[in-house]
Amino acid sequence: MLIELLTKKYPGMRQWLAQRLSAVYLALYTFLLVTMLLIKQPADFTQWQAFFAPWWWRLLTLLMFISLAMHAWLGVRDVLKDYIFNVTLRGYLQLLVDVVLIIDLVWVSTILWNIN
Amino acid sequence: MIVSKPTKKRPKNLNLLTIRLPINAVVSIMHRASGVALFLLQPLLLLALQQSLAGATEYAAVREVLQHWSVKLCLIAMAWAFFHHFFAGIRHLAMDVHWMTSLQKARFSSRVVLILGVVSVVIFAWWIW
Repeated sequence: MLIELLTKKYPGMRQWLAQRLSAVYLALYTFLLVTMLLIKQPADFTQWQAFFAPWWWRLLTLLMFISLAMHAWLGVRDVLKDYIFNVTLRGYLQLLVDVVLIIDLVWVSTILWNIN
Repeated sequence: MIVSKPTKKRPKNLNLLTIRLPINAVVSIMHRASGVALFLLQPLLLLALQQSLAGATEYAAVREVLQHWSVKLCLIAMAWAFFHHFFAGIRHLAMDVHWMTSLQKARFSSRVVLILGVVSVVIFAWWIW
């Protein structure tokens, strides 16, 4: 029963779950980030760059931003559906939101990629 | 004789200045508003991250911008959006697993969310100043 709710037949259930799972990861990353900052206490540029140097930290950070994009996409979509009743206008606004989210994601990937 | 149809005059109160939302609704609408705000602020965060990692000069420049009192006030406002969304989100997750779902408990957890948000913002403000 539970498994069936998560198949392609019920896309709403999958999106609901995606929003929750991404939220859990975002919260976990927040705790991890605060802990890391308290342990390493980066105080200048060299230490700040070193903070982002480990590949696994960059991977966790990228995963956080991917979760954030998914979470924001679902959240903003719900807000638009609730307040914008004109379907055409909502379509364009949603397109704008999608473009912004994709740009954000590509942008953060290049930032994390370019750290020496 | 005109027999008027009995129209029900239902009370309607959509005046935003006189509506008093229950505390759960306050937490809920703030969760939405802060979520939208955080989405809109993401490019600013990425810009700061990019500049701070681009080189020693850029890093110093970002630090200097962040030292200004008006920027610090903006940071505090952003932090409030973040903390409120964070705690209200945890409350939603708790309710998804059927925890604290009675009206009385939901009101209590709403108050906890609001207080935790403010306390976190105060700690954040104290830390950056």
